[in-house]
Amino acid sequence: MGMKLLTKVHELLRLGRLIATAMSRTKTTHAHDPELVVTSEHLDLDMLERNVELRHHKNNMPKIRNLMKALQEGNEEVRSQLNAELEQLPNATHPRLLNYNNKPRELAYYGQDKPPTSVKEFSELCRVLNLCRMDHLGNYTGHKSYYLSGQLAMLEQAIIQYALRSVTDHGFELISVPDILPKEVIESCGMRTEGERTQVYKLDTGECLSGTSEMALAGYFANKVLDEEELPLKVTAVSRCFRAETSSLQEEKGIYRVHQFTKVEMFAICTPQQSEIELEEFKNIELALFKQLGINFRLLDMPPCELGAPAYQKYDIEAWMPGRNMWGEISSCSNCTDYQAKRLNIKYKQKTGGKLAFAHTINGTATAIPRLLIALIESHQRAGNVDLPAVLVPFMDGRQIIAKDKRIPETKLVKSIKVS
Amino acid sequence: MLKLRNAIPQRFSKSGYLKLQRYISALYITGDKANENYVTLQPHLDFAGTFNDRSALEKSIRNRGLKISLERVLGKYQKYLTHHEELRRLDGEREAISQQLKTLAKAGAAAKELDELKDRGKSLRNDVKALKQILYPIEDDFIHDFLHLPNRLHANCPDTGDERLVYRHLLPENTQQVPSTSHLERNDLIHFVDNNRYYMMKQAAHFDVNSMQALARYFVKQANFLQTANPDFVRCVLMEANATPLEHYHMVKEDNLQNKLNVAYLTGGGAFESFLGAMTKLCVYSSVLPLRYVCCGRSYSRAEAKLHGPLPSLYTATQTNAVQSFMATQTADEADAQLEEILNLAADFYKALDIPFRIVYVGADMLTPSESLRASLEVYAPSLQRYVCVGRISNYSDFVSKRILLSMRREKHYDFLHLVGGPVLYTTRLIAALIEHGIPLESCKLLGSNELDTKKTFQQDLQEFKNLFK
Repeated sequence: MGMKLLTKVHELLRLGRLIATAMSRTKTTHAHDPELVVTSEHLDLDMLERNVELRHHKNNMPKIRNLMKALQEGNEEVRSQLNAELEQLPNATHPRLLNYNNKPRELAYYGQDKPPTSVKEFSELCRVLNLCRMDHLGNYTGHKSYYLSGQLAMLEQAIIQYALRSVTDHGFELISVPDILPKEVIESCGMRTEGERTQVYKLDTGECLSGTSEMALAGYFANKVLDEEELPLKVTAVSRCFRAETSSLQEEKGIYRVHQFTKVEMFAICTPQQSEIELEEFKNIELALFKQLGINFRLLDMPPCELGAPAYQKYDIEAWMPGRNMWGEISSCSNCTDYQAKRLNIKYKQKTGGKLAFAHTINGTATAIPRLLIALIESHQRAGNVDLPAVLVPFMDGRQIIAKDKRIPETKLVKSIKVS
Repeated sequence: MLKLRNAIPQRFSKSGYLKLQRYISALYITGDKANENYVTLQPHLDFAGTFNDRSALEKSIRNRGLKISLERVLGKYQKYLTHHEELRRLDGEREAISQQLKTLAKAGAAAKELDELKDRGKSLRNDVKALKQILYPIEDDFIHDFLHLPNRLHANCPDTGDERLVYRHLLPENTQQVPSTSHLERNDLIHFVDNNRYYMMKQAAHFDVNSMQALARYFVKQANFLQTANPDFVRCVLMEANATPLEHYHMVKEDNLQNKLNVAYLTGGGAFESFLGAMTKLCVYSSVLPLRYVCCGRSYSRAEAKLHGPLPSLYTATQTNAVQSFMATQTADEADAQLEEILNLAADFYKALDIPFRIVYVGADMLTPSESLRASLEVYAPSLQRYVCVGRISNYSDFVSKRILLSMRREKHYDFLHLVGGPVLYTTRLIAALIEHGIPLESCKLLGSNELDTKKTFQQDLQEFKNLFK
């Protein structure tokens, strides 16, 4: 697994090369030229530090410098500590993003010239139509838990079917994935499981709940050697995602930021030469999915400080949520280059020469249910009801409108009941 | 500090779980502890209704194999009643004195007389306070025992170790032969790591999603059920209300848990317990009854792992996709009718798959304390040479609704609703069995499937076209 990769490094120079590999990409536009990996022996710690700062990542370079010095002086005990620190470093950054000044760049907008504003907000409309309940649940099913009822619950399954059909048509293989994972798998994907502000839920067994099926999928391919002919290998999964993060921001109220939701995820393993093209395919699939849903959205190219640890570059898609009068992220896709592959030991056998090399991984959201529901419901309301986009109608038994269903009981709660 | 309460009697049951010690209940918190523990729910404790048919209750305890001495519980009940009676008497007396004081004060009575009454009142107040302190541990002791009393058994529930066949489709072939190969041999379809972790590929992955969606859709279209999507965590208070053995689910560690008693469990949205959150304290009008819900979601139960072992496989896995049902009715008879209807719908679905399938009422010792009857939906697993449960529908009568206060308002009365429900499908176990029977997953007929409708229409169209030339 990931740890092995670095603990097996016998010499400091070898360590240095690994880091330099990552760094070479910030210096060159030929981001994935494998030759650079071999020839670059110069370890530029200052450049590494600049990358860390550029990405607003926790700067552990001073610590790394000290540890490296200690190791050079023959203190073998610090090796594992050094490895752990190196694992925390972020991926290199696509050179295109270097002058973005911490601001996302809007690449495109899709939708009406004048998107609607000041219509009913999701929770409000759902209260009227009795489609979603969030109130008085904390003591029973947890903070920010929610129930979807009737047509809205059916819409969730309809969206899943719609997204799955689209991505499988693009050659993605469906895989059923586990939501309970060992913490090592989650950490290998660049998520921390310890500490005050961890986003990861833990179970009494010590295992963790997956934050995204990308983790389970990456874990599935851990320690695998694939043939170059098999690449790009594209898979998709429907899973429950668990996020311990919370928010009391007014604009994130309702089901905007929740602890549990369903997501259709896309994941690909490819060669370094394929990864940038593959990312574009992910982006195009996402754009096509949302265009057909008739929502207003924009495509953003994310700056270094928004990439997290594993991504080399990342696109976000934000939908216009007219009830909230704001843009909300509904999807994204990232090229993680060999960051995850190195930690998970995912390799491929090169067609010519048969040499083993680390693969690249791409991940992207086909649909994440709650925010897409917000965008859909807020965008398509008409006369108190909600019109369904034509592409979803076949998955909703031909129903074209979501209206109030009288079979759903009103939320009338009692405090206690005394029976005489 | 919280007083440690007596441990629940430990036992092994046929279903293979061991009841662990629980020291304090999240469901019932006595007044002295209410300061430090937020009372989230005041269950309706129906003492009269529970004890009015002692022989039925005794039979239920005996047949379930519970080591509970009803005699002792009744003894505690008497003690509790006596003290409560005394408390009521003291309260009444205090009330009378305060009334007397008011009247006399108005009438301009002598100060001495008033002072005497005030002193009596003060001394009574101290008596009440002292009695309450005595009562808390008595109440604690009795109520916790009371909460562990089981539901009565349904007339259809077989005795211990027994089961009653309700429905059967096909018989397993060659049961005497060597067990057939396990589904785990199909490396192209299944990658099994452990009970918490497995992957399914190709047609198995598609069946995993499609069968769940199709069956839910069948319930919605065929029988007018309402679909829901439910949360994955359920807190302890509801687990206790449903008398779910806590070891059935993984506990979730939460950093900022305010009420330490009320921890969360990972049940999955496709678990019965997950429906209870939306039903807690809910008061409905008769016009919406019966409530008939169906939901798609995950289930993360480890309840039956031992039953379907010993080797870990998809039969013992914790996670599965599930279709969960939940019904609430006004009367017991209606609940019986709902249970029957849901079994018919499920039977249609499994029959169409053409797999050896049966429905049995399981013996009383297999039930959780809240169930009065359980119908187990089972398919034959060739590698295990026995039937495995792919779903189960239970009747809870009004046992759980009394605890979560799910009621119907009728004039000035509240009727507690009768609950019926449970998973109708665990996809993972069904997939394993289908593979072992050699039934191709990609060509299975799934009732309720979107595609089936399309195919049917095409076939109907074709037939109509042909009819033109007849």
